[in-house]
Amino acid sequence: MTETTPTTPETVLDVQGLTVDIATPDGVVHAVRGIDLAVGRGEILGVVGESGCGKSTTIKGILGLLPPNATVGADKIELAGHGDLLRTPTKKMRHVRGRRIGFVAQNPFGSLNPIYSIERQFHELQKAHGTKVSKKESREIAHAMLDGVGIVNPDRVLDGFAHQLSGGMAQRVVIALATTLSPQLLIADEPTTGLDVTVQAQIMDLISGLVRSEQRSMLLVTHDLGVIAQYAQRVVVMLDGKVVEHGRVEDVMVDPQHEYTRKLISSVPKREELHDVIG
Amino acid sequence: MADLQLAPSRAAVLWRTAKEHPGATLGGVFIVVLVLWSLLGPLPYSSAATDGSASRQSPNGTHWFGTDGTGGDVFSRTIDAARVDLSLALAGAAVALVIGVPLGLAASTKGRGSQRIVRALDAFQAFPLLILALALVTLSGNKLYMVVVAISLQNIPRYMRLLRSEVLSLRESRFMEAATAMGATTPRLIFKHLLPNVWGVILVQTSLTIANSIVVLSSLSFLGVGVSAPTPSWGSMIRDGAGNMSSGEWWIAAFPGVAVLLCVLAFNQIADAIGDRTARSYR
Amino acid sequence: MTLSTTTSSQELSRPRRGTGALRLVASRLVFLVAALFGVVTLSFLLVSVTPGDPAEVIAGPVASQSQIDAIRADLGLDDPLWDRYTDYIGGLLQGDLGTSYYTNLSITSEIGNRLPASLSLIILSVVFAAVVGIGVGSAGAYFRGRWPDKLGRLGTSVFQSVPDFFLGLILIYVVFFVMGLAPAPSGQIGISEMRPEKITGFITIDALLRGEMATFWSAVSHLVLPVVTLGLVYAAYFSKTSRSTVGKALNSQQAQFARAMGLPERTVLRYAFVEARGTIVTYAGVIFAALIGGEAIVEQIFAWDGLGSWAVQGILRLDIPVVQGMVLVSGAITLITYTALDIIVGLLDPRITHG
Repeated sequence: MTETTPTTPETVLDVQGLTVDIATPDGVVHAVRGIDLAVGRGEILGVVGESGCGKSTTIKGILGLLPPNATVGADKIELAGHGDLLRTPTKKMRHVRGRRIGFVAQNPFGSLNPIYSIERQFHELQKAHGTKVSKKESREIAHAMLDGVGIVNPDRVLDGFAHQLSGGMAQRVVIALATTLSPQLLIADEPTTGLDVTVQAQIMDLISGLVRSEQRSMLLVTHDLGVIAQYAQRVVVMLDGKVVEHGRVEDVMVDPQHEYTRKLISSVPKREELHDVIG
Repeated sequence: MADLQLAPSRAAVLWRTAKEHPGATLGGVFIVVLVLWSLLGPLPYSSAATDGSASRQSPNGTHWFGTDGTGGDVFSRTIDAARVDLSLALAGAAVALVIGVPLGLAASTKGRGSQRIVRALDAFQAFPLLILALALVTLSGNKLYMVVVAISLQNIPRYMRLLRSEVLSLRESRFMEAATAMGATTPRLIFKHLLPNVWGVILVQTSLTIANSIVVLSSLSFLGVGVSAPTPSWGSMIRDGAGNMSSGEWWIAAFPGVAVLLCVLAFNQIADAIGDRTARSYR
Repeated sequence: MTLSTTTSSQELSRPRRGTGALRLVASRLVFLVAALFGVVTLSFLLVSVTPGDPAEVIAGPVASQSQIDAIRADLGLDDPLWDRYTDYIGGLLQGDLGTSYYTNLSITSEIGNRLPASLSLIILSVVFAAVVGIGVGSAGAYFRGRWPDKLGRLGTSVFQSVPDFFLGLILIYVVFFVMGLAPAPSGQIGISEMRPEKITGFITIDALLRGEMATFWSAVSHLVLPVVTLGLVYAAYFSKTSRSTVGKALNSQQAQFARAMGLPERTVLRYAFVEARGTIVTYAGVIFAALIGGEAIVEQIFAWDGLGSWAVQGILRLDIPVVQGMVLVSGAITLITYTALDIIVGLLDPRITHG
C-alpha cells in the first residue's frame, strides 16, 4: 500500500442510509434497513454476515439490479467521478455497470453464457458499451485481459466455451471480463464460493492483486471472516439488514464490540493470523 | 412467512387458495352447478323432444339458446349433455389414474428395464392419439366402454412419466434416505413417504386429464363415434350445427362448443390452482 | 506485482469441433432405423389383431355368410398372421402398401397425393403458432405480473382450452359468414377452380411454378383460416413453454451477470432466448409430429383433402390398408422428426458438440 493516510483515503463509493423494501404477497419485507458504507481508493472493504442478512440485496441495490417489486431508498449512493447512483437514470446506469463498476459473482459457470464462445462474450461486452472495435481488436483486448489474469493459452480459451474450463479458469475469465473496461470499483459477491479450496486462495490473490496494482477499490462480500482478515483493510459486519459493526480489520478482529461479531469470529476455524484472537 | 408458523386449518387454506385463484373458483362453481342441474333438472324442454315447426330458431324468450335442425331446444340439450360427457370423461380419467399411478410407481426404479419402458411409452406417444382412439372405438363396434378405454390409454403414459420423474427425484431426497436407512418397509415407504409427497402433482394431472378427456370425447362424438343419438352430447351437437355455421345459424354449434370450452377451461384453471398450492407448500 | 498463480494447460480440454456432432448423428440414425422397423410391425399388428371383422363391414348388414367368406378370402384375411406379415413387409420394401378396400386406389399414391396438402397446412400452422406463441410468452416472461403478462396468460388459457374444431367453426362463422373476408371452407381451392397441373403436389408452389397467379392467391386465402385455427390453439403451448423457459433464463445468474456488466436489455433478452431455444425447438418438433393425424378434424371442417381426413374416413369404414398406411406414415414422420430434433438441439448446444 502506497497510501500514507489510511484513515481518510479518497472515497470512491459513499453509501449513506441505504434501505431496500421488497413487496411480497405476504407484505413488505424490509431487507436492508439503513446501511452506511464507504470504500476508499485502493482499498478493499469487506462486508460479512450470514446468508439472508441483506449483503447481496445491498449490492444489487447499489448496482440498480433489483426486481421491480423492490424499492431502493438512500440519502446518497455517491460514486466518485460520476455522481449519485440513486439519481442516475436507468439508461445511464447501464453504462455505470461494467464500465465504472465491475462485478464478480460466485459460481463462474452461472455467470458465463454457456452457448456463446468466450471470445464472443468479450466482444458483446465491448459492443454494449459503445467501444467501436473490430472483431480483431476485440480479440486482441480479450487476449491481453486473459493474459493479465494468468491464463496460459488465451487463444484456446477464447475459441472455447464455458463448460470446457475448470472452475478456477472460468472465474479468471469472469474477472477478466469484469475488468476489461477498467472500472474504478470492483464488487465481488462471494467470489470463491463453490471453487476448490486450493483454487480459492489463487483467485483471492489475483483479485486483490488487480485492486492493488491499479489503485482500484473493491467491495468484497463474503461470509468468510478468514478471507476478510487476510485481504480487506476495513470491514462492515451486517445482521438483519443493518450494520452492527464497522472499522479497520485489525481493530474489529482483535476487539469486536458487538456480540454478533464475537460469535462470528469464534466460529472461524483456526488460522495462523487469527491465532491470538481465538486463543 | 409469518402465517405459516401456525398450520392453518384446511378450510382456511381452501378459502385462501380460492381467493387467490378466482378463475379456478369460478370454474369449480360452474362445474358444480352444471353437474347438479343436468342431474336434478328442471329443464325447460325434454332433451329428446323435437318440433318440426320450430326448427332453427335463433335464441329467443322460449328457446334461450335457440333450436336445432329438428326443433330440439339447444339449451336443454346442452345442459343434459353434461351428464354423459362429464361422466365418461371422469370415468376415463379415473381408470387412467387407477392404472397409471401403480404402473408409474412400478416403473420408478433406476434400472435399465424401467428406462426401456419409458422409451416404449415415448414411442407410443409418437402415434396420432386421436386416430388411435378413433380406431379403437370403431373397431370395437362403437362400444361406449371403449371410449373410456381409449381415453385412459391416452393418459396412462402421462401418469407413468409423471410418477416416475417425481419419485426418482424424491428418492434422492434426504428424508427418503433417512427412512430407508431406518429400515422402513417398501409398502410403508410408498404409502407413508412417497404418496403424500406426490399427491399434489397427481391431483394436478387428474384435473388436466379430465380436461383432456372432455376434448377427446367431444372430438370423437363430433366425428360420429361413441355417444350416439338420441343421447345428446356436446360433440354430436357441434357436428349437427357445423354445417349451419357457414349459413349463419351459429347457435346450434356455438352453445355446446362454449360448454366444452368452459368445462375444459375450468379444469385447467383448477389444475393451475392446485399446482400453485402444491408448489408453495414445498417452499 | 507478479501473478504466481498460472494454470496449467491440461486444465482445458482441447475443443474438438465435429467429432461430438458426428457421433451424435450416427447414434441417432441407428436408433431411427430400429424404431422405424418397430413402427412397421406395430402398424401391421395394430389393425391385424384388433377385434372387428372388416369383411362383415364391407359386405354390409344383409350379406350372407358365404359372401362374407368370399370377401375374407379375397382380402387374404384367412391366411396365417405370419404370412400376412411377410407379405406386408415384402410389399412395403417395394413401396407397395396395398390398396383401399373401398376405392381400390393404391395407398402409396393416395399418401403421395395427400401428404403435400397436410404438410403445407401443418408447417404453416407450426410457424404461425411459434411466432405468436413465442412472442406472447417472451413478453409475458419479461413483463412478468404486469398487463402484457396478464393479457397473454388469459389468451393462453382460453386458446389452450378451446377444441380446435370448435375454434375453426367459429372462425368460419365470423370471418367467412359475417365479415366475408375468407373464402368458403371448400378445401385447398374454390369448388369451381382447377388445380394446377402437378409438379410438387403443393398447390401453392405448383400454381406459382405454372404462373397461375389467380389459383395461387386462391390457395393462399384458403389456407388462412385452417392455419389460424391450428396456429392459435398450438400458440398457447408455445406461449406457456416460452414464458417459463425464457422467464427462468431471465432470472438466472447468467442474466444477472450480463446486466451487472451493463449489457443492454435486448442483449440480456437475446442471451435468455439463446439459452431457451433448445427447449422451444423441441416443442416445435413435438407439435409438428402431433399435428400429423392430430389435424384430422380441422381438415374435415375445412374439407381439406389431406392425410387426416383421409384417415378418419378410412377408420370409420374399417378400411384397414388406409389405417395401416396412416399409422405408418405418421409414425415414420414422428420418428424422423424426433431424430432430427435430437440432432438439431444437440448441434445448437456447444456443450454437446464441444464435449
